Amino acid sequence: MTKDRITTAMLWLGGAITTAAFFMAFFWAGPVAYGDGRIDFAQKIFYFHVPVAEASFLVFFFVALYGVRFLMTRDRVYDTKSRIAMEVTLVFVLLTMATGDLWTRVEWGKWWVWEPRLTTYFIMTLLVIAYFVLRSSLEDEERRATYAAVFGIIAFIDAPLSFFITRIIPGVHPVVFASSGGGLEPPMLVTFIIAQVGMLMLGYAIYQLRMREEHVKEDIEALKASLEG
Amino acid sequence: MAPATDTAVRPRRSSSWRQFKAILRKDIVMELRTKEMLTSMGLYTLLTLLIYQVALSQSGSGFDVRLIAAGLLWLAFLFTSMLGLNRSLVHEKDQGCLEALLLSPVDRPVIFFAKATGNLVFLLIVEVLTIPLFFLMFLSGRAIGGDFWMIPLALIAGSIGIAGVGTLLATMSVNTSGKDFILAVMMVPIMYPLLLGVVSATSAAILGGPDYVGVFWRGLAFAGGYDAIMLLAAFGLYEFIVGA
Repeated sequence: MTKDRITTAMLWLGGAITTAAFFMAFFWAGPVAYGDGRIDFAQKIFYFHVPVAEASFLVFFFVALYGVRFLMTRDRVYDTKSRIAMEVTLVFVLLTMATGDLWTRVEWGKWWVWEPRLTTYFIMTLLVIAYFVLRSSLEDEERRATYAAVFGIIAFIDAPLSFFITRIIPGVHPVVFASSGGGLEPPMLVTFIIAQVGMLMLGYAIYQLRMREEHVKEDIEALKASLEG
Repeated sequence: MAPATDTAVRPRRSSSWRQFKAILRKDIVMELRTKEMLTSMGLYTLLTLLIYQVALSQSGSGFDVRLIAAGLLWLAFLFTSMLGLNRSLVHEKDQGCLEALLLSPVDRPVIFFAKATGNLVFLLIVEVLTIPLFFLMFLSGRAIGGDFWMIPLALIAGSIGIAGVGTLLATMSVNTSGKDFILAVMMVPIMYPLLLGVVSATSAAILGGPDYVGVFWRGLAFAGGYDAIMLLAAFGLYEFIVGA
């Protein structure tokens, strides 16, 4: 099937591109220095942290989108798609938390800071966990799918709100984390874009592979039922 | 024989507003009769205040509780509201009232608004009773730094969000096997932005400080924005979950 071939291509291509970006980040992109001239080596995490973070948001969008589609059509396929997308979101959110936490440790010497982005991702982690806890606490399939879709939509609205509030509300700790988006030299920008594209490809591949696994599971269940009946 | 067009026989068409009033009235009358929710929510808040005393017991007399007063208050309100929301909907479910409502020709959004308003009223009552107690127990002798009128505004902005989104989430959680645990798991992350906003606003009111009016209005504006967005979403999504 063509979709399988695309998935395999995405998997290998995504892996290759991300690995290339890994090498480029260390050997090609220029080092970033602090104001006083010291080299900020930890900044290299940026090439992995931001791609996984943006990938997680993108997949989270699909959770909400499939949730809306399910509520509109009541087609169980969309419920499965929404759930698998949430699983992929979980993977990327955890990667974001891990890389972000490492960066925090190196930059500020503390293991955790209630900085806007970290806080928002903590909220997102909790939302993703809540989604799965909700699903596992419901027996009836129709109800489970409906509630999960509704919660996925609410959660998707809540995530950006959390992000904005943590930036608007003045806290005790000022936002030290300067945005690295502006003023990137070409080598850094290219490396970043390649890393981003690679990560998105990997995200797509993971999603499709997981969907394939789900389809096989469903086929097995259908076969079992037809054997018993 | 009375003609078929006899006005005494023909039923009056009930508008959304009258449906809303009827459902809200039912909730309030039931509460006035049993006083179940208010007493449980009120007692729960008192217990929380006691726990606060334990938490602050080692902080020493020099510690200015006003620094964390807003946070402590909203923490108490959040957990009390979760208790109240859960109880109000468990009641509905056990009595079969929700089923009856769904069978009658009432618009789903009306059910949402009526239940949310009922929950809002109870929450506000508990808050209004708690705040003087809190001030008495923890802040006695110290005047608040900001303006007094700010506190009711912040209370309303926060409570609207809690009651609105809470009603949606509680309607879901009451049908799960975890009930109030599931409600808490869903509600805390969803409420986070609202809480941060109203705590900031309430804190500005209690502490004062430079530009406290600006901080207050910023927090309140965000809370208002959150309320508008989330209530719209909850209103749109409610009919999907109440029928499931």
